[in-house]
Formats: sequence, C-alpha cells, structure tokens
Amino acid sequence: MSLLELTDVHTYYGESHILQGVDLAVEESEIVALIGRNGVGKTTTLRSILQLTPPREGTVRFKGEDVTGDSTHDVAGRGIGWVPEERRMFGYLTVEENVRVAVPPEADFEAEREYVFDLFPDLERFREKEARNLSGGQQQMLAIARGMVGNNDLLLVDEPSEGLAPLIVEQVVDALREASAETTLVLVEQNFPLAMDLADRFYLLDHGTVVESGATDGVTADDDRIRRYLSA
Amino acid sequence: MIGFGSSLAVFVDAPLLVDAFGRFFQPDTLARLLVEGLGKAAIYFIIAVGLTLVFGLMGVLNFAHGAFAMLGAYIGGVLLVVGISSTTGSGVRILLFIAVAAVIFALLTAFGSALEVGLVRPIYDRTPMYQILLTFGVGLILEETARILTSARGIQPEPTWTAAASTIPAVLDARYSILGANIRGFYLFAIAAGALVAVAVWAFLTRTLYGLYIRAGSEDAEMVEALGIDVRKAFTIVFGLGTGLAAVGGVFLIWDPTYGPSVLLNIDVLLYAFVVVVIGGLGSFKGTLAAAVIVGVTDSLTTWLFNTGIVPFPGLSEVTIFLLLVITLVIRPQGLYGIEEVGGH
Amino acid sequence: MDTVTDTTAAHARDDEHWLREYAREHVPHLLVIALFAVYPPIYGLLLRTPLSAEANAFLPGTTFLIAMLFLGLFAMSFDFISGYTGYLSFGHAAFYGVGAYFIVLVANGDVPGIPAGTPFVITMIVGGLLAFGLALAIGAVSFRLSGVYFAMITLGFAQVAYELVRNWNYVAVNPQDGPTLSGPTPEIGIPYVDSVSIALGRLAGDSFENVLGLGIDISATLTSYYAIGAVVLLSYFAMQRLIHSPFGRVMIAIRENEERAAAIGYNVFWYKMVAFGFSAFFAAIAGALFAAFSRGASPDETFYFLVTADALIVTIVGGIGTLAGPFFGTAFYEWLEDILSSEQGGLAPYLRGILPDGVLTADIAGITIADLINTVVDGRAPLFLGIVFVLFVLFVPNGLLGSVRDRLGNTVGKYVGGRLERYRR
Repeated sequence: MSLLELTDVHTYYGESHILQGVDLAVEESEIVALIGRNGVGKTTTLRSILQLTPPREGTVRFKGEDVTGDSTHDVAGRGIGWVPEERRMFGYLTVEENVRVAVPPEADFEAEREYVFDLFPDLERFREKEARNLSGGQQQMLAIARGMVGNNDLLLVDEPSEGLAPLIVEQVVDALREASAETTLVLVEQNFPLAMDLADRFYLLDHGTVVESGATDGVTADDDRIRRYLSA
Repeated sequence: MIGFGSSLAVFVDAPLLVDAFGRFFQPDTLARLLVEGLGKAAIYFIIAVGLTLVFGLMGVLNFAHGAFAMLGAYIGGVLLVVGISSTTGSGVRILLFIAVAAVIFALLTAFGSALEVGLVRPIYDRTPMYQILLTFGVGLILEETARILTSARGIQPEPTWTAAASTIPAVLDARYSILGANIRGFYLFAIAAGALVAVAVWAFLTRTLYGLYIRAGSEDAEMVEALGIDVRKAFTIVFGLGTGLAAVGGVFLIWDPTYGPSVLLNIDVLLYAFVVVVIGGLGSFKGTLAAAVIVGVTDSLTTWLFNTGIVPFPGLSEVTIFLLLVITLVIRPQGLYGIEEVGGH
Repeated sequence: MDTVTDTTAAHARDDEHWLREYAREHVPHLLVIALFAVYPPIYGLLLRTPLSAEANAFLPGTTFLIAMLFLGLFAMSFDFISGYTGYLSFGHAAFYGVGAYFIVLVANGDVPGIPAGTPFVITMIVGGLLAFGLALAIGAVSFRLSGVYFAMITLGFAQVAYELVRNWNYVAVNPQDGPTLSGPTPEIGIPYVDSVSIALGRLAGDSFENVLGLGIDISATLTSYYAIGAVVLLSYFAMQRLIHSPFGRVMIAIRENEERAAAIGYNVFWYKMVAFGFSAFFAAIAGALFAAFSRGASPDETFYFLVTADALIVTIVGGIGTLAGPFFGTAFYEWLEDILSSEQGGLAPYLRGILPDGVLTADIAGITIADLINTVVDGRAPLFLGIVFVLFVLFVPNGLLGSVRDRLGNTVGKYVGGRLERYRR
C-alpha cells in the first residue's frame, strides 16, 4: 500500500480543466519531485491532495483511506503538512505563534517546539520576532518547520527555492534533507538539477497529466523525454 | 446670488467663534469634551469591534450588525422595564443591567452563530457582494420584525421608548464634577464598560488558542485550514461573538442620552460602526479602539460646537464623521492600522 | 457583431443575421412596452367589472405604476455601474437626490443663474449633467479603491451629502422634510413648444377626456404615467445601447477581470469614470421625474442610504447585470407595496371586506385576526421584500431576468470571455 495514491484526478478552477487525469503514487519515506513547466498543474496537484481545490473526478488515497471530498483540516489532520508557494507566513504573528498554530491542540506544544527549534536553531533566536520581519530564507525555514510539526507523515513542499539567493537555497536544501529523515516529501521544484539531486523519483507533468515518471538517478535535462516538456 | 452667499455665512458665526476659542481652552470644557467623547467612544467600540473581527477573519462586511445592536437594545429594554420598578435602587438597577447585558450577550452570540451556520456559510464561495447583500437582507428582516412587534404591542409609537430609557438609575443620570467639568455619570459607566470589553477581547485574541487561530485566520484563513484547524468553527465563533458584542453595545444605548431603543438604530448604528472600522483599518482590533476614540471625541467636540452656537449647522457632527470616513479612504484606505493590501477582499 | 477583417460576403450574411437578431432581441421589449401601455385602461375597465374588488386588491394602481417607472429607472442606473463594472455604487442615492433637488430648487428660483421658468426638460438634463460631473469628482478619488472599500467611500460621500442637505436651511424652510415645488407644473415635451408638452403631477397635470372619440378618459395621473414612461423608455434604450456598444463590452470586461482588461490596453480608469458618470446622469433623471411628479423632495426619499439599498434589493431580485431586470424587480416591489398597503386598494382592506366579522374578531392568544391583518399585512412590504430578497440571494443569485436569460443563454457577459481571448492574440 502506498502512502499516497492519486487515481485519475480531474480538477477544475471554475470552468478551466487543470488536472486532466493525474495518476501517481508515493511510498513511505521517499522524496518525490513533481516537475514540469509553469501552469501544467503541479501546484494544483498539491492543492487537490489537500482538498483545497477538491477534484471533481478521481480519488485521493492517503494511508489507504479515500480522502476525496473531505474537508481540508480533516485531511491535513491525518498527517499531511503543506509548505506552500510564497511561504504564506502569518506575518503579524511571532515565529513561535506561527509554529503554535500548526501544532494540534491535543499535542504537546513544548515538545514540538523544541523539536523544530533543534532542527532550525535560527528560528529559536527569532522566536519573539514577527514573521514578516524575517528574511526570505528564514521564512522558508519557518514554513518548513510549520509543515513538520504535529507528527506529519507527508510533507508537500511547493517551490522552496523560489526567490532565494543560492547560498540560502543550500540551507533550505539541507533543511529539506533533515526533514526527509523524518517524513515523506513531495516536492514541486522549478530548479531541475536541484529537484533531481534531492528526489528519489520524479513525475513529469504536462497539460494536467503525468507524461513521464521514474527514478531520478542519472536523469538530466538533456534527456529527450525530459527536454521536450521542459524547454519552452 | 445674495441669498446664496449670506446663507453660506451662517455656517460660522465670527464673534461667537472668538469667544468660544477662549472657552474651549478652559480646562473644564476640555475635560468635559474629552470624557464625554471617551464615553461615546466606549460604546462605539463595543459595537464596532465585532464588525472588525468578522471582517478580518472572513472578509464579510456584516450589514446586519446594526440590527444586532437594535435587537440588544429592544430585548434589553424589555428586560429592564420588566425588572425595574420606580422604587428599585440605583445599585440594584446597575446590577440588573449587567445581568441583562450578560444574558443578551449569551443569547445573541448563540443567535449569531446559528445565523452564520444557516445563512452565511452557504455563500462563502461567492463574491463578497453576496455576503453584503445577504447580511443586509437579514438586517432588514430583523428591523421590520422589530417594527411589527413594537407597534403591535404598543410599546413604541414613535422614536424613543421612554419607559426603557427612564430605567437609568439616578447615580448614572446625575452629573459629577471632574476637573471642574460637569459629566454625566452614564459616560463614566460606559468608559468602564468599554475598557472592560477591550481588555476581555484583547485577552481572548492574544491569550487563548482560539484567539491565535482567529488572528492567524485573519491573515490567511486557507493556510490555517491547511494546518489542520477547522477554520469554519472559528468563523462561527467569531460571527457569534461579534453579534453578541453588538447586542451588548445596544444594551448600553438604552441608557445613552442621545439614542434609546429604536428601529432607527439598525441603520444609524451600522453606519457609525462602518466609519469606526474603516478609519481604524478593517480587521484591526487596535485600529478599532483608536478610531472609536477619534470618532467619539469628534462627536462630542462637534456637538459642542453646534450647541454653543459657534457653528449653527445642526448636522455638523454627522457631516464631520462621514467626512472623516471619506478622507480616511482617500488618503489612507487601509485605515490607521489596517494591512496595506487594500481592495483584495 | 464581428471583427472588421471579415469578407464582404460574410458581412452580408452577418448583417442579415444581425437584423434578425435585432428584431428578436426587441420582441420582449415591444411586449413589455405594450403591456405597460395598455395596462392602465384595462385596469380601469376591470374596476368596473364584478372582479373589481380583486383587481383593486391584487393589481397595482396607477400611483404605484408611476413609482415603478422612476424608481425602476433609478434601479437600472444603479445596475448600469454596479452590475456591469462590478463596482457597487453604495452612494447612488446622492445622484438621484441631485436630480430631484435640482428640479425643485430651479423651479423655486433658488439656483443662482438659472431662472425659475426654465423648462423642466432642460432643467432635468442640466441636473443630469451636474450629477455626471459629481460622479467624475467622486470617481476620481473612489476608483483607486475596489470591493468593499469602493462601496464604503461612495456611501460616505452620499451620507455627507445627505447630512448637508438635511440640515441646510437654504434648500427648504424645514430642511429635514425637504422643499416643495412651488413654481408652475413641470412639463415633459419639447421645451418652449406648448402643444407637445405634457404637464406632470398627480393632481395638477394635464388630463384628456374622450381621447380620439373612443370614450377613454386619461386622468392627470395617467397622463403623467405615459409622459414619464416615455422618458424612462428613452433612458433605458440609451443605457442599453451603451452596454451593447464596444464601450459596454469593456465595462463587462472590467467586471470579469479588470487586470486583464488593463493588460489588453484599455484605460480602465476612464472607462469606469465615464460609466459612473452615465449611471449618475440617469439616476439624476430618475430623481428629477420623482420630484416633478411628487412636487417636492425630501432627504430621506432621495439622498438617504436606504434609497440606494432599495435599488440594490430590486436589482438583485430582478437580476444584477441585466439592465432591464432591476426594472422588473422594481415592478415587483411596487406591486408588493400596493398589495400590502391600503393606499390604493390592497390586501388588508380586501381581507377586511370579504372575511366575515366572526373570523375578524376571532381571538388568538389575545390578538384578533383583524389586528393581525393590520400589523402583519398592512404596510409590511419591506418585511416580505426582505424575506424574498434573502431567498433570492441564497437561491436565485442571478435574479428573475438573469435566470430567464440563463435558460435562453443570451446574456451579453457570456460572450465576453471569448471576445477578449480573441483580442489578446
């Protein structure tokens, strides 16, 4: 049984048919990259998994259970974390409060806080700072931390390197590697070499469907099957 | 032409102005205007804070908010009239008033929550216009129902319901000397209540887990949902609390010398609450507090300017307050403490 | 209906098609106009039949018909800006008020530079232009905002105007009640040509007896009805042409996706400004008709927020973004008002008339049926309208006309998406 399984998922924004039958499966503790050009449905796939944009057809299974059509907080509560595009901090909340929102009320907040602060010592230094005053890299760390607390078994990470300086990207990659030791990762990433470097397997999307997939070992952007979908 | 010009001149009376200038800077005048202004501000705040919380979290501009205050004023008025006889002492009256406010808060919080679940929830996915329309329709129905009930029961032939207003205890109706100024006891009572509500709401927002969810949800409700929290429950709670607070504000209007229970409260209160939350910044607690003070003091100052005859224009207070709204939106649309992305909602 | 690059043959075919479509489009118009034209005489005849009690109770009387006309025009002008650009003009009552007050003040000789005897039609148009200018002034600062902020700032402007007018003793002896028109009866027609001018007013207007020898009398009220109806009809067609013109398509494009409309290269700010100006113009015309017919204006009937709110309600009930819908919404509202008030017939007197005394005095929990009729039916249109309104918002968001057109599939807005896509290439 796969940890996460999408079967023939069709998702719409209003009248636009974005996902046109996506099939994919993610096994426990692997890192899977979703790649493809802008607007092929990578982010929508993540949103469909979380039921933020519920699919009109097809099923999403998490830990073997059909979660299609459930409410988002329910799905997230089953153990899925989300590190969205552009990070979406609660800018007027402190770092600590940002983490607090993500910790389920019944969980031990102190323990969870220590756990992420150990992982990201930078965040501990700024725990009382409002999140909007953090640097881009620090905000990305916080977003990842926020996705990891609460014992999540799956972390959906959307464009973690976007808009960050190369040096900061390295820190973020390290953070993601740390995270992957604890949880399964699904990663949407524009930076192709970085995605291939981090992930074990990849799914290549085009026009709302999966057109290629496989192990990342030895795959380069020059591969014919990759190039014709990635180059403009 | 001449008639036109001379009628404009009536707006400001020059000799009186000079005289008033002197009087204005006397400490008793200043103190009285300030304390009365704060008294008005306290009630504006109690009413408007719910409006701003609801908008901040859900992006719903609640046009039924004035009607909730009206309900509070009427139901509270009935309870006070029933519970207070002419022999009831001041202390008992105040205690009863507090009890009534508490009962109405509970009652209307439940009512607001039910309304949110039953009527507002089905239309969150539509454009904000439909939420304005729906809540406005609800307000209209409440207003008309109140009108039917009060006229059927003969409670209220016309605007002010004196039986309710006259339950005010002597100690609050009396005037007290503070810094040489004569101040009606009611305003001091209102200031105390406003401060209490402000502290309570602030503590709820900053010291409780639900308050944290509400603050986070005001920034990004979808993100909160994706972190595993049932944001809709928070919506229901906040809409309920907003309704309850508006109604408590309405209870205070019963004893307010310028209002009293009336169906007109629906729109009057609504428009003033809008002014307060827009000036403060839609969604901002701090802003609502500051703006309530600004509007309250402006109100008492302009009322004084008219009453002393310096500006012989009866609508001075209203015109100034609505001008404040317009000017704020022109020069700083996000209000005093609002978040700068304006127009997104 | 297509781009200019089409071939001549296609053009010819298009033209034919266009004509047919034009005719088809106007069939509903003709039907509605005919209905409104023949209604009063038929109503008059019905009152002389055995069904008179029912007709009197359930059909709208002429006073309400006239209110339908000018309030309907006001609601359409509100829809013109709010429904087609998506900017809720919450201060629309201000423009209605400008039109109404301008008529009365000019007629009373209170506007410097404009003599009291200026023909009504000219005053009405000048008042409309004044409102147009006011809309540009308000729009200049308001259109930098959108959504609820736009609604709030326009509401703020209107409330400032309301409070000014309500308290300014120059406009009337008792400004809270507003001025009454003391000059000669306003006339609709060609200015300075007496034979083609018709005086307005419930009591003071022109009346005609035995028209064309057909034995039909046209009372003063009815004359006003047709004269006002003509102005409303002209205004409607003017707005309808605007909406069906390229200008109107940009308005709809702004509503659908303002950023995209701007990206295509339209100066959306000025489109919004001019659209706002036109809607204000027609709102002022409606206000002028109201003031001329009722020979006066009061702040609460013109500048007040609830006047805008009424337009908003009927716009939703009739169908927002349909132009004609708000008129039907108004018709529905006025019909409801008529039934539920006892001014001209109505349900309450009817029930009191047909129910036996035993029923009327029957006591239910201390309230008699007669009391119940008096309190729950008589004058309670706002309550029932509120309920209808909430039901429409929840279940019929496209309104009466919008839903009908959805069935038939020809709302202008539907075409716009594709049209814009084409312009992008």
